[in-house]
Amino acid sequence: MSKLKPAPLPSGTVVGGYQIVKKLAAGGFGVVYLAEDAQRHMVAVKEYLPSSLAERSQGELTPRVKPEKQPLYRLGLKSFFEEGRSLAQISHPSVVSVLNFFRENETVYMVMNYLQGETLQDFIVTARDLKRDKVFRESTIRSLFDEILRGLRIVHQHKMLHLDIKPANIFITNDNRAVMLDFGAAREVLSKEGNFIRPMYTPGFAAPEMYRRDGTLGPWTDIYAIGACIYACMQGYPPNDSPQRIEKDRLALSLSRLRNVYSDNLLEVTEWCMSLDPLSRPQSVFALQKELARETERRYTKLTFGERLKLQLENLTTGAKA
Amino acid sequence: MRFSIYQVSRKGGREKNEDRMGYSYTRDSGLFALADGMGGHPEGEVASQLALQTMSALFQQASKPTIPDPLAFLNQAILAGHQQLLRYSAQKALSDTPRTTVVACLLQGDSVYWAHCGDSRLYMVRAGKLIARTRDHSYSELQDALHSVVPMRERLNRNVLFTCLGSPGKPVIDTAGPFTLQGGDRLMLCSDGLWGTVTDESITEELGRRSIAEAVPELVEQALRNGGPKCDNVSVMAVEWECSEAEQGGSGVSTEELGDDVFASTIQASVLGHDAADDLDDAEIERSIKEINDAIRRSSQKKKN
Repeated sequence: MSKLKPAPLPSGTVVGGYQIVKKLAAGGFGVVYLAEDAQRHMVAVKEYLPSSLAERSQGELTPRVKPEKQPLYRLGLKSFFEEGRSLAQISHPSVVSVLNFFRENETVYMVMNYLQGETLQDFIVTARDLKRDKVFRESTIRSLFDEILRGLRIVHQHKMLHLDIKPANIFITNDNRAVMLDFGAAREVLSKEGNFIRPMYTPGFAAPEMYRRDGTLGPWTDIYAIGACIYACMQGYPPNDSPQRIEKDRLALSLSRLRNVYSDNLLEVTEWCMSLDPLSRPQSVFALQKELARETERRYTKLTFGERLKLQLENLTTGAKA
Repeated sequence: MRFSIYQVSRKGGREKNEDRMGYSYTRDSGLFALADGMGGHPEGEVASQLALQTMSALFQQASKPTIPDPLAFLNQAILAGHQQLLRYSAQKALSDTPRTTVVACLLQGDSVYWAHCGDSRLYMVRAGKLIARTRDHSYSELQDALHSVVPMRERLNRNVLFTCLGSPGKPVIDTAGPFTLQGGDRLMLCSDGLWGTVTDESITEELGRRSIAEAVPELVEQALRNGGPKCDNVSVMAVEWECSEAEQGGSGVSTEELGDDVFASTIQASVLGHDAADDLDDAEIERSIKEINDAIRRSSQKKKN
């Protein structure tokens, strides 16, 4: 039986001087609203309201937390503060900016820039439905990730990891900026020992160490997700999730389908980022940026006859699209 | 004061990471510390964490907002960490005391002071040259120092220390300073996981040639590569001194706008954090919110400048 999710604040409610317009999204950590500030500017307001710990019935403002759930609720609140504290220090066009932080209704709210545009996920879906041989042009992919990596580098410099990078969390604004969203899973790297709650992960984009209790998370964990995003931008679909890859790794095979469509270098970089062994990946964003920015002549390698045959057989057995 | 900082800690091939590091600062003073909990004794990660917490707590008390006598402070703060370890082990009735090394440096005005116990090191690099580094409290470095006086016998293992925090004898603490800082000076604290496999020359070269944000990850990667599958924990924290008065346009941490009584720290106040959530009372929540809003204000000011 699934428990009822806490009800979002109704449209029109005013919290901390912001008037709620509508609910935009709800996740494990809380609800994001579109709201207007006193000058009638649009903002996004994120309410701390962990769905598994807090209850709120329709029309009520203050969430209720059962006493036995208080410790976890407080722990989550601490992470919410950490997210705010870290985002507050970062001012970078590729990282969503925090405008205000306040307490009301016995919970806390984070006010962020409201971005207009679409997520990278939306773009991938639209592009792949056109059914051309490539989803995005290589130059588009390179410049998009160059922008994202600049932001991610700053995030890592603030001792933070994103830990949930995926196309749905990368926003392309109408004025053509790429902005990373949803740092809900982000944690300060240094304080991760002790009471560390493993963040939720997205299959396909989560590195293998995210699935393990004892896995050491680091910049390389976000780099795996970046690799998976590049993969999705080329293939149109997310890669297999990492437990599946540990069992039988088809990554090299599916990347070989893209040979001659994308340059060898881009395919190699993707495979490098997505190494199952964290130590085999680029260890820092900087290392990856260097490789992606390398402007040498692109080499393309055609598939050999034997490889084409192997791919066709593979397609017959799995029914995958070529 | 304005400085930038970059730190990386990696577990290497070990089961646990027993290294801890962090920094605390007020408007006019900054404390940077790193501790390497020792294997072969219980709870190395508790030892390193306790040593840093003790230092940070004492720093918070003493820096109002400067420390009157930095060298005496460093000495006392490290010693207090040692006493905390003995107390901790007595309280928990451990058969052996958790042990740790520690290296700490204090920036104040345009001077730097440092102190250490054990074999975690501090390197100071200016314009690509190694200006200073701590001498380990290990028998092998002692042997190096004394070889002209006492005849050399077989090489001693570099890992054997003659002092650390938590051992039965009173720890030996070396202090140094004040050294006058120049803009661009780099100070690096590291555990033996780094210097055990990366030479002083490489460390100096990396620190001299690149920004700390590039040099630190590169050095840690080198150490992990050289250390192989059984690599020790590797922790490195580097600070680049920008200036004592905040000028416009720097990129690092600027302490100038902090109020008289503001204290910031990356060192968690609770032991290992298992009771971390309990101390989140109303006052703490209000303080967190205020801190975040202060940070937002500072960032948006920076953007305007």
